[in-house]
Amino acid sequence: MTATLRLARTTGSGVRDQRRLLAGLLVLGVVLVAVFLLSITMGSRAITLGTVWDSLLRPGSGSVAQTVVREIRVPRTLLGVLVGAALGLSGTILQGVTRNPLADPGIMGINSGAAAAIVASVMLFGAGGLSTYVWFSFLGAGAAMLAVYSIASFGREGATPVKLALAGAAVTAGLSSVTSTIVITHSDALNELRMWQVGSLAGRYLPVFWQVLPFIAVGCAVALFSGRALNGLALGEDIAVALGQHVVRTRLVMFATVAVLCGAATAACGPITFVGLVVPHLARLLCGPDYRWILAYAAVLTPVVLLGADILGRVVLANGELQVGVVLGVLGAPVFIALVRSRNLVKL
Amino acid sequence: MTSRPRAPIVTLAALLTPRLLTPRLLTPCLLTLCLLTLCLLTLSACGSSGAEAETGSKDDGWSFVSGDGKTYTLDQKPTRIIAHAYAAAALMEFGIKPVAIYADGPVKDDVGLKGVDFRGITVLGETWGKIDVEKAATLRPDLIVGDWWPAEKAYSGMEGGVEAKSKKIAELAPIVGPSQGDSIVELIEGYEKLASSLGADVTAGSAGAAKANFAEALDTFKKAAAAKPGLTALAISPYDDKYAVAVPKYAPELLDFQKWGLDVITPKTPDKDFPYWETLSFEKVDQYQPDLLLFDDRNYPNNYETLEKAPTAQTIEAFKAKAYTTWPAYWMHTWSTYADQLNRLTGEIEKADPDLT
Repeated sequence: MTATLRLARTTGSGVRDQRRLLAGLLVLGVVLVAVFLLSITMGSRAITLGTVWDSLLRPGSGSVAQTVVREIRVPRTLLGVLVGAALGLSGTILQGVTRNPLADPGIMGINSGAAAAIVASVMLFGAGGLSTYVWFSFLGAGAAMLAVYSIASFGREGATPVKLALAGAAVTAGLSSVTSTIVITHSDALNELRMWQVGSLAGRYLPVFWQVLPFIAVGCAVALFSGRALNGLALGEDIAVALGQHVVRTRLVMFATVAVLCGAATAACGPITFVGLVVPHLARLLCGPDYRWILAYAAVLTPVVLLGADILGRVVLANGELQVGVVLGVLGAPVFIALVRSRNLVKL
Repeated sequence: MTSRPRAPIVTLAALLTPRLLTPRLLTPCLLTLCLLTLCLLTLSACGSSGAEAETGSKDDGWSFVSGDGKTYTLDQKPTRIIAHAYAAAALMEFGIKPVAIYADGPVKDDVGLKGVDFRGITVLGETWGKIDVEKAATLRPDLIVGDWWPAEKAYSGMEGGVEAKSKKIAELAPIVGPSQGDSIVELIEGYEKLASSLGADVTAGSAGAAKANFAEALDTFKKAAAAKPGLTALAISPYDDKYAVAVPKYAPELLDFQKWGLDVITPKTPDKDFPYWETLSFEKVDQYQPDLLLFDDRNYPNNYETLEKAPTAQTIEAFKAKAYTTWPAYWMHTWSTYADQLNRLTGEIEKADPDLT
């Protein structure tokens, strides 16, 4: 009921609030551009800002530095934006649909399901391209989500947040061992498969970006327009039905969207956890309980966090770099614990 | 954990720590140990250089000066030998057939074991660090053979990171083997000595022929290298988005090639924690410009494909000109494989353009 009251307050406060939220979104957009540029200038090869600028605006000299900027750093960063948006939106949707503050595509085993499915498909049908992996990824994501939700629904009180998180942890552990087992027993494909053990933006180039772009673009479009439906669900199933929503249909569409977004993101970068959990909460802190705004904020804020973590991973080691999946794991775990312990957030 | 550039494809450790694929894990601690061991080995080598009967066998007793510098003696010449797969390949060329082997990975996938006939030999393990000691015990071995790794002060199968259960194989029989050092030739000669101490006639039959072939192959290799004085080569192992350049100092075959006239480029700044390699990012692959690229053959063509996908690959002149081949990385143990590899590389050297860069 608190949600209802808060929602009523926000929606009631009118145009000025909307303006404030829009301004906030624009500021986040500027931050994203800044992080984007920072990500392009950072790397193991020393390239001056001037050269970076030239590579973007006056390409064609064909120098090594330009190749590095245009074909290694820009694709990596673009992919970070895309995958960030996908994970942020999936996290928001999951939290809204399950009314569970701990829902996250990583924690709920969806990303590891996608990774396991890809690795299994390589084992069964041989190595293919990313364009085939994506479909297995969707299947794996969907299956894992279904498994976690059904396991958590056992028992009297249904799928409580903590039960969902526990079921997710169990399924994640199980699926990760499946991935590891396959990787261990298929040494030929090791190089190919290791990509799906730890999430990373490194070593992905422009073709990967183009291959996942259509899926994530469609997923993001559906996600961004699902705010009204999520607002309805946030009021509870009965009220949502009373408001004329097809609750089951909405849930199905939402889960399918999550499977597509997470599947594509995992196919591109491997399993990445915690951003999908933390950023929707940050977004909620910034803009209140209206899902239309939370979704928009999460779509911009998650890439900022993901790219930030990626940049951190590049600087934190003197020699080499840390995968973004690892950085986010380290940073995300304490936040996750804080969320579990915090009483205010546990009621969505 | 482990400190040598082990076959990257299959080791358990490699799976748990992907970085091992192109290993850069040597801790300063191990490095120090390695240096100390080298000193000790040099000393002991000086001490024993004049000694007679290094591998001499008395009437029916047996003794061998092993890679760790110790002399091992047994009342009887050992006949039931368990060997690391590479050591087994070496011994088998000299006609000594072990009863069992343990390998670092699936035997059929190992480039270093291609063509070795292990039929009739029990396989005690095909994962690095795992040996079925229970099965080994039923075979009643009287000797265990593996390379001695000076950097790790351990024989193959006894290194840090090997599970304790597997190390119990050492309780079944003494472990011996020649030391990994600065030259594959010395390593093979070590196995030659070990085999002859075990009763093999290393000059007769196919073993003798293999050595003669090697000598011939070496000769043509040297001539080919001498004919192209300006030719430079770079030994690499690309993975993920990393371009690992091998440091010849820790790759005995590369040291051999250098000695025999092929200019294998020595990278300037080897990784501090694991000096077997200098690991560059794909952003800096143009740092060294050789005339000929040598891919680590243990995970070729995977590593080639990884590099090919990198947009900067074309900034390596040799890659652009398709001037590349593979190098037998850290696995050679026999005259016959070394001869084959030298002949192959001789062909590559003859094809190569010394003025590419």
